[in-house]
Amino acid sequence: MNSSILIARKEAGTLLRSPRGLAWLVAMAVALSIFCLLLVSDTELSLLDNAQVVYDMAGLITALGALLAVILGVDALAGERDRGSLPPLLLTPVAPESILLGKLGGIVIVWAVMFVFALPYLWAVGSTGQNLMDGVAVLALFGSPVVIGFGCLALGLGARLDSSRSGLLTSLVLLLLAASPLIFGPSLRQTTVGMAFDTINPFAAAINAYDAVIIDSATVLSQWGHALVILVCLALFVLFARNAFQHLLRSGGGL
Amino acid sequence: MLVSVNELHLHRGGTPVLRGVNLALDAGDIYGLLGPNGAGKSTTIAAILGLLRPHSGTVQVLGRSPQTDARTIHRALGVLPERFGFYDWMTAPEYLDLFARLYGRHLASVEIARKLETVGLSPKPRQTIGTFSRGMRQRLALARALLPDPKLLILDEPTNGLDPRGRRELHDLLRALVGQGMGILLCTHLLDDVDRLCGRIGILMEGRTVIEGAVSDLLDNQGSRVRYRIKWSGELPSATMMPQHVSVLARDHGSWLVEIESGVPAADAWREMLFAGWPVAEVMREGGGLESLYLTMTEGRPT
Amino acid sequence: MNTFRILGALAIVVVLGATPATASLTASLTPTSGNPDTPRMGDRISFQTSIRNTGTMPEHGLVAWISLLQTDPGKEQPVDLEDWSAHKAVTAATLEPGQTLQATWPVRLIAAGHYRLVVCLASRETRELVTSPVTTFTVRSKPVVASARVLPVAFGLPLLLGGVLVWRWRLGR
Repeated sequence: MNSSILIARKEAGTLLRSPRGLAWLVAMAVALSIFCLLLVSDTELSLLDNAQVVYDMAGLITALGALLAVILGVDALAGERDRGSLPPLLLTPVAPESILLGKLGGIVIVWAVMFVFALPYLWAVGSTGQNLMDGVAVLALFGSPVVIGFGCLALGLGARLDSSRSGLLTSLVLLLLAASPLIFGPSLRQTTVGMAFDTINPFAAAINAYDAVIIDSATVLSQWGHALVILVCLALFVLFARNAFQHLLRSGGGL
Repeated sequence: MLVSVNELHLHRGGTPVLRGVNLALDAGDIYGLLGPNGAGKSTTIAAILGLLRPHSGTVQVLGRSPQTDARTIHRALGVLPERFGFYDWMTAPEYLDLFARLYGRHLASVEIARKLETVGLSPKPRQTIGTFSRGMRQRLALARALLPDPKLLILDEPTNGLDPRGRRELHDLLRALVGQGMGILLCTHLLDDVDRLCGRIGILMEGRTVIEGAVSDLLDNQGSRVRYRIKWSGELPSATMMPQHVSVLARDHGSWLVEIESGVPAADAWREMLFAGWPVAEVMREGGGLESLYLTMTEGRPT
Repeated sequence: MNTFRILGALAIVVVLGATPATASLTASLTPTSGNPDTPRMGDRISFQTSIRNTGTMPEHGLVAWISLLQTDPGKEQPVDLEDWSAHKAVTAATLEPGQTLQATWPVRLIAAGHYRLVVCLASRETRELVTSPVTTFTVRSKPVVASARVLPVAFGLPLLLGGVLVWRWRLGR
């Protein structure tokens, strides 16, 4: 089996087979469940309100996915370096690029699992509303690169900074900043600074795409501008992760 | 020559860390790398493994440069770092299977079980590594290091966390591996391990090799052979009955000063003497030996 | 006698000249035949309008638009048509006397309630707003969040994952 695939499976196993990782998944499921249960008592939702709920759910799934990707990304290099499990991996005949690809692959697998677990929630709140299938498609196409991008960013920060703790803190602050459009109201986002930030923020690009497709019934293809922002950021984060990993190797790999 | 290091100089963060390290390890040898904390032992190992780039000097491992042929070298190399971590959710067989595949080998579960047995590890089925004791983790790390059937084994503090029986078993294992032609680079603070295992040693101090060579030669040259004073409790047999690797240096009333040949464990010498009928009442060590050499070499050296 | 004929003809001319040319628009509003009898939230219905210039002068810059009003007691309010209807206005540069303009208004029923719909008209010549007759309709509610769907998912998934967690934890000991 290809070395990258072996490493990706190992990385994914850290979440899916360890009690600690499974506890994270349970926590995420509980968060989504609480959101769903808040809606059960409200039987007067209009279609628009229901579309808003699906939009909010998609945003929440993306935020939780990015949070998980950040935790895994920091642990993949910095955590292993701190625990001492990285040098044995680096001392196998596997090429460094394959190791990094495997680490990224682990994040992709974990997001895919989380996405599959999130589908029943979307179905539960949105199956009789509008644009559910389009919503699932836009979450897959736009949410995935955002989540994976933040995983790469965390991977790079963990490799670059002295400890996994500082890598995690820095990554979480950046994620919180990027996800702030979810918290701020439209009035703040419409300011000059808010709009400028929205333009370069991949998280904002994703939720703007969700808004357009789920609530305004726009087509997925019409969101190409947001897709461009997301893909450019993903490319930059992947490059950053690659450079940070090479820096880690040059400094001894944690030995 | 499995490992050859000549005048190795290495900087980390602009600071010189190694300022002239020399090391030579051949197949069938166990080489002890000694030195106080911060002397540069781990950095030397990192350079041998190709993880750090030398500023000057040469490093050859298995006839290749670790800077350009690291992956080829890693295929024939086993490493047990001082600090080792695992994937605690895995079982030991799963862990070894993963690393075997990363080394490009597919081992049947029977072979993996045999590898675990070699290092004295027999976990319960489905027992995860997270529940292992320190000693079990040490053994598993050694099993991983032996996976590629390496020609060169690098061990950093391998007996940490092992009980006396475990240490004895590890010593026997290492001697057996060396007997099969493997070369072992042993980095340790435990002079007793070095005494029992190593034919050659190198002592580092402040990033520089201060002494290097065969143990017996070094002890002879430094006058640091171990001496013992034996007190007798009865009539002494003929002097010809003295074991051949015990040299008598002086005879006093009721006690003799003796020296044991380098590389021979003292306990073996006493056992032989007892079987030969010598009435040993008390044995006291009187200076000298590897400890003396080490302390002399690492005490207040100028930078 | 001739003077009276001339004066009478003049009077007719004056009267005719003094009477302004009549500009008159009318609009009708009828539900399309395919509309469901008891529409529900999410249904799409449509209304047809016929705008006719019943006057003698052309109408220029004609604009016709729909207005929707919710009439449920305590919730009386005009409805923002942003999500209800894509057709915000129908325009015509000129509507000649006797000419009729047909338009169809598709409406998506976003929320349940009682509604009144009317078409409004204006042109450069009209001084007062012209409206069609008011059409009323009722939208039945549809439960979009059903507890029968939400509860099994909201409780089931965390329990399932929790069970896997406990199983893995016990397996590893």
